[in-house]
Amino acid sequence: MEKRRAAVTGIGVVSPLGNSASALFEALKAGRSGIRAMTEWHDYFGRNIAASPVTVDPVEAKKISRKIRRTMGNAALFAGLAAQEAVAQSGLNPEIFTSGRVGCIIGSTVGSASSMTEACIAEYEGRRNDLSACHFFRLMSHSSSFNVADLFGINGPQLSTNSACASGLQALGTALELIQLGKADVVLAGGSDESTPLVASSFQLLYALAEEESPEPEKLSRPFDAARTGLVCSEGAGILVVEEYEHAKRRGADILFEIAGYATNCSGWHVSHSDELQIANCMKAALADAGIAPEAVDYVSAHATGTKVGDHAEAAAIRSLLGDRVPVSSLKGHLGHTLGASGALELAAVHGMMRENLVLPTRNLETVDDCAGIRLPRTTEEHPVKVCLKNSIAFGGVNASLVCRKMD
Amino acid sequence: MENLMNREEIIRVINSIFVERFELDESELTPEKNIVDDLQLDSLDLVDMIIGFQQKFGINLRDNQEIRNVRTLENVYDLFEKLVREHPEIVEKMK
Repeated sequence: MEKRRAAVTGIGVVSPLGNSASALFEALKAGRSGIRAMTEWHDYFGRNIAASPVTVDPVEAKKISRKIRRTMGNAALFAGLAAQEAVAQSGLNPEIFTSGRVGCIIGSTVGSASSMTEACIAEYEGRRNDLSACHFFRLMSHSSSFNVADLFGINGPQLSTNSACASGLQALGTALELIQLGKADVVLAGGSDESTPLVASSFQLLYALAEEESPEPEKLSRPFDAARTGLVCSEGAGILVVEEYEHAKRRGADILFEIAGYATNCSGWHVSHSDELQIANCMKAALADAGIAPEAVDYVSAHATGTKVGDHAEAAAIRSLLGDRVPVSSLKGHLGHTLGASGALELAAVHGMMRENLVLPTRNLETVDDCAGIRLPRTTEEHPVKVCLKNSIAFGGVNASLVCRKMD
Repeated sequence: MENLMNREEIIRVINSIFVERFELDESELTPEKNIVDDLQLDSLDLVDMIIGFQQKFGINLRDNQEIRNVRTLENVYDLFEKLVREHPEIVEKMK
């Protein structure tokens, strides 16, 4: 029996470069950075660490009603707003959400880093009885997923693919599989996450953070660059409406692209070292799942966060599979690392590239040294982008790759 | 004993909790309003309402049975007028 196909009919984002897919893409095209010195974190770190924060004003937040918003930490709030944009773009009839045929899969590193910190501080200060009745719901690991499901009245499968930086892509891949298995016709899927001082310090402890104080913080995130010193924390959400292809065609939906294939694996030996062989195996398996040869790939949207070891391993994996023909870039030079949101959020930009037939470069990439042997554009290139491979690589040795294809 | 907080002040403090915590408009808060049916608070909100009273008045209401029986805003105002009268130290702590 022929496999059911999955099309993307809506995308929404909340990002440091704007709270819509179009705002994000225009900012990326203009080469803008969302990264700045976090003066508000100065007391915590003793200096101005750089990060890439999101801004959601109270009026925007109130697009979500109080009774849903009360159980949302920031990660779920970002996911909810992004989901509203994606659903609006999809043009889906709201009645479908309560049909039992719509699912919701959203992952994040933790349910809400900021809510977790608040709870710990309240506990430490003996004020736990002052916490809201809603507080636990904000920090539960599936908070984004159940809050977005409730926002739309979704009563189909609800899952939470919490795998740190691979959360978003695993959500999308699992959405594809649910649709292929016939267990859902539509899935809202993606990732969300928050950047807090504690989150940034977790990377700092591992010497994985670009923590130097710089007069030009926007230059600190430099994936693949010889002078890279680590990642810059960011936050946000990317939510996509993934819809069974025939279902989308029947209702005349505008199809943005197809999720043609997916694979996920793990290294099985180390929680923080990227494994070049398993990353390559993952990309190979995703392409095989899509029935697409490596020669047909037009662009790789890399995970590359700016860490020495991670970027090197991913570059080696890409080189072994695709050589130096295919343009590769990481959007984390502009955005920083949006953690659990990254795979899904960056796909909004990938769609923009597919739509406009261009490849965005890696911001701040000046000198290539240990990541040589792959094609790393320094400026925007114009050429057709029909097939794209998107990678996410996470702590825990988790890899995920998604193959996206423009539909004719 | 002199009432250190009159009913008007109690109403003002109580209403501020409903405005701040539940995004209600001051104009909706009239004494006859049923907290659940008219103001649309649900079970999670009722727990937060009690937490709000605890924080504003500096008292522990977890074991207070009367708070669980309130139905209207008037019931709440009456209860706190009684609590303030019986425990004037509440008002001292609030100052």
